[in-house]
Amino acid sequence: MSEAVPIDFSYIIDEIRSGTLSQSNEVALKTEEFVERIIAEKDWKNAQELMNLIKAEIKLISEALPLHTISTNILRHVLNIIREEYDIGFKSHVEQSLHQMMTSDSDAMGDYSKMLDGLKTSIIDHLSEYKTELETSIDNIAAQATDHIYTNEIILTFGQSNTVEQFLKAASRTHSFQVIVAENAPSYNGHSMAVSLANHNIQTTVISDTAIFSVMSRVNKVIIGVHSVMANGALKTACGVHAVALAAKHYSVPVMVLTHLYKLSPTYVSSYSFDACSSPASVLPYSFAGDIVSRTNIINPMFDYVPPELVTLFITYQGGNAPSYIYRLLSELYHPDDHEL
Amino acid sequence: MDEAEIRATFSKIIKTEDVSPGIAAIKTLMQMVKVSDVTTLQELRKTMTIATDYMRDMDYPAASISSSSELLLRFISLASLDGVAFSECKRIMIDRGQMFLKKLLDGRGKIAKSASKFILDGSRILTHSRSRGVLYALKEAMGQDKKFEVFVTHSAPDNSGELMKKELDKAGIPSTLILDSAIGYIMETIDFVMVGAEGVAESGGIVNKIGTFTIAMCAKEMKKPFYVMAESFKFSRLFPLGQSDLPLDYKYTSSVRKNMILDKEDPLVDYTPPNYITLLITDIGILTPSGVSDELIKLYI
Repeated sequence: MSEAVPIDFSYIIDEIRSGTLSQSNEVALKTEEFVERIIAEKDWKNAQELMNLIKAEIKLISEALPLHTISTNILRHVLNIIREEYDIGFKSHVEQSLHQMMTSDSDAMGDYSKMLDGLKTSIIDHLSEYKTELETSIDNIAAQATDHIYTNEIILTFGQSNTVEQFLKAASRTHSFQVIVAENAPSYNGHSMAVSLANHNIQTTVISDTAIFSVMSRVNKVIIGVHSVMANGALKTACGVHAVALAAKHYSVPVMVLTHLYKLSPTYVSSYSFDACSSPASVLPYSFAGDIVSRTNIINPMFDYVPPELVTLFITYQGGNAPSYIYRLLSELYHPDDHEL
Repeated sequence: MDEAEIRATFSKIIKTEDVSPGIAAIKTLMQMVKVSDVTTLQELRKTMTIATDYMRDMDYPAASISSSSELLLRFISLASLDGVAFSECKRIMIDRGQMFLKKLLDGRGKIAKSASKFILDGSRILTHSRSRGVLYALKEAMGQDKKFEVFVTHSAPDNSGELMKKELDKAGIPSTLILDSAIGYIMETIDFVMVGAEGVAESGGIVNKIGTFTIAMCAKEMKKPFYVMAESFKFSRLFPLGQSDLPLDYKYTSSVRKNMILDKEDPLVDYTPPNYITLLITDIGILTPSGVSDELIKLYI
């Protein structure tokens, strides 16, 4: 196991940047492996030192990949795991709440530098459970498909998402239904999604983004994936999903969001950058430009903000939750001190 | 301490220190614990309950007094130690009370810091009446060199908005005083609304100066975020379903209540239901209204 490969996240950063590593689940698993290696192989004496190592990595990743939250969220969760194992080891339980403020001594809080035997083993055990969780996340979500999709329903989805694909394929084994895929210009990744679904014998229709509102009255459910979920239950998605959600609201069509827990971020919209844009060439090719380019501003935004009121249900591996419950999921995933790193 | 002393101490703290009635109530009760000559826990609780009643009976808004006193009483009962002499108990309570108070006062800084993240360059902020929490947040954002503008309502009948404007001017924050009735007019140009709270209900809704509900309704209609700054000691176990469910001592001062004919009196506060509130910024974190009840449960288990 211990080859001469250094424990360096920059390899993974390069792969993400070049696009060779793009599927969220793969990124999650690679990040988890990386953390396991840090814990097993790096030099640390107590919980505080280990947490400092991980915090340094979080800082590095957020500077190198500011739009990429999966790895930083997983590292934050690992920080929470470390704190949990430490507290269990010392049988202390510190919670950020009114109760805690009143009954605890201020000195005992936040001190993770005491030596604890067996901390390494217990963290590694906990992490292997977490790894199983990550590996089975997509399958667990897909297993819930038959609860939500019934025969002869018309499902609308937007662009391409691996999780949604597995979800729909799982349901198609027992029910027959139709899927309408919005093509998601200018990347048109809806096309590859449609091909993949059609090859699985699901009746699929591709529509242009402009047709979303006009077909919405006949749609039974909207099922989408996300880039990340914010602390108030709002979504950061591919550009165009806000329009889908608004159309769905207008026709009272439920909007279901399939998400893995590592996509839940403990931050609010103020700290998010929605200014990120991809190349305008896909909107207006350079060959067309000529005269026009000096007189026009061509914007190709990467992301869309969808407010929590437009989302009906979040489906995670644990089951379905309302957007108002996201704060609870977050409190279980991350420690409040780790929200801003 | 007898009734007159309690009232005098309370008034003095409110007048000389710039703290909310809730914190002044806690300080008064702590003072009372220090000088009291009671010998049992039961008696101490009783005297504290009576003292709280005296303070609520004065002409100050009762919402935060009620919740903070209940918290302190709860704290006292949690701190009770069996088999320890009462004098020792008393000393421990006083120590913990001081620490509790310190944490509450530190909380204001935490709230200001969290809230200042929502204030971006070029923000146009609407606020209502005078709130210390909002003032600290705005000062904190000013300290971070952000450029923004504040609109304050006059906030009849006590025109506390004018006091807020004075304090904003002193801090160098560009501000405009607007009529209470101009809220609808100005809302389209506003980026978000920031208000304080006198009390936070278990539903996640808030009790605040009269007029807050109107602003919240306007903000919802115009799709503007509505943020509330509230310290955790303001969380109370109230669950109002409407304006009439608010306790009378929240809505009217004691001198007005003695009048008995309250229908024709103007209330001091109103209740804003949770679905009008975007986020509550507190010292225990930024909460969605649905998160408030969880925090309360953690406290009262």
